[in-house]
Amino acid sequence: MAQVWFEKRERGSRWALRAVRAVALRAGRRTARVLLWPITAYFFLALREGRIGLRRYYQALDGQRPTLGRLFGHYLTFARTVLDRVYLLASHRDAPRYEIRGFEAVASYLDCGQGVLLLGAHLGSFEAARAAAFLRPGLKIQIIMNTKVSRQLNEILMALNPEARESVVPLGGPASLLRVREFLAHGGLVGLMGDRVVAGETTYSADFLGATASFPLGPLRLAAALRAPVFFFTALYHAPVDGACRYELLFEPLCGPAPDVRARGEWMRQLGERYAQTLERFCRLAPDNWFNFYDFWQAPGADASCRRATRDPGDGDGPGSERPVDGSHATEDLGGRGKS
Amino acid sequence: MVNSRQTDFEREIAQLLVSSLNLGLDACAIDPEAPLFREGLGLDSIDMLEIALAISQHYGIQLRSDDPENGVIFASLRALAATISARRA
Repeated sequence: MAQVWFEKRERGSRWALRAVRAVALRAGRRTARVLLWPITAYFFLALREGRIGLRRYYQALDGQRPTLGRLFGHYLTFARTVLDRVYLLASHRDAPRYEIRGFEAVASYLDCGQGVLLLGAHLGSFEAARAAAFLRPGLKIQIIMNTKVSRQLNEILMALNPEARESVVPLGGPASLLRVREFLAHGGLVGLMGDRVVAGETTYSADFLGATASFPLGPLRLAAALRAPVFFFTALYHAPVDGACRYELLFEPLCGPAPDVRARGEWMRQLGERYAQTLERFCRLAPDNWFNFYDFWQAPGADASCRRATRDPGDGDGPGSERPVDGSHATEDLGGRGKS
Repeated sequence: MVNSRQTDFEREIAQLLVSSLNLGLDACAIDPEAPLFREGLGLDSIDMLEIALAISQHYGIQLRSDDPENGVIFASLRALAATISARRA
């Protein structure tokens, strides 16, 4: 029964996404933004899990139960950033403007031919962050992605821009990571997300908005193995002032290139801690840019069967998503590997 | 299990794996025929990247992303050692 329902829902949202894309490109941003209200209202009412997850987030953020208006505004921000992805990818005349902060430090590495790793989060707009590649001529960016998650949304959006599609490196194959390493060695930018735990992944714990949360260890290990300097990056969406909204592209140094393997544990511990702290700071700066619509503090694996049952298998992004866990997590001590 | 004893060179590579990955196990304990990844030693693609870097540092052999033999090279300790000694020659 559940399977049938999921399939129906996947078809339904695929159709809706295609319709939104078509309307967005033909009617322009102003009209499309008006249409976002009823669409957002539908998802807001239909997806109870997302509201519960967000409530938990706001309570961690300022200790208060958020009003329905605030929660709805949050959904609307998410919808607006998805809409803007359409314009950014299509290089449409309505593509929003962005401001850049902190790129100088990244540039000083690039000047020496050293590539830089950008550790992002489901915070703000992923697509606006991709605009980092336009910051200097010849600069290229690759995004390491778990392509199984939010597959459908990405397929529909990426169809707009073959170049953006090519810049995505699917997580998995050993050869793909060697390719990323070569790309960094040639002075490229590599982006990956460091906040969301996927099924079966090893995690580490860090203090985040006043409580302990689990983060995936893989991105830290990868950063260590790639031996590149690591920056936090995000593109925060800011609500319109005088009718024009904007994105703020932010780069913050986290750690220099990883030391040799003996000092690796301490390096990863620092990176994990700084990542969580930086993420927290930006959450406070732009609270409605947080796009993990599930209880971020719930221990991975806890209540997994129930969460699996309510998960939308077609798309792991947005208010309908649950943290994709399967309960087989291990929390690893950053100091040693202990694989025996 | 006729072939499950490590040769001297395989022992050397096994030690390189243990030290470069900080594995916390005895290099002698790695079965040269067992798969290195997933079900065998339980290594993943990030570990493979570390191994590729360690090999290039120690033996001057560049393992490249477009190498069609990547699947074979990392199949087991034995396959890895064989590739290194063949390419080093």
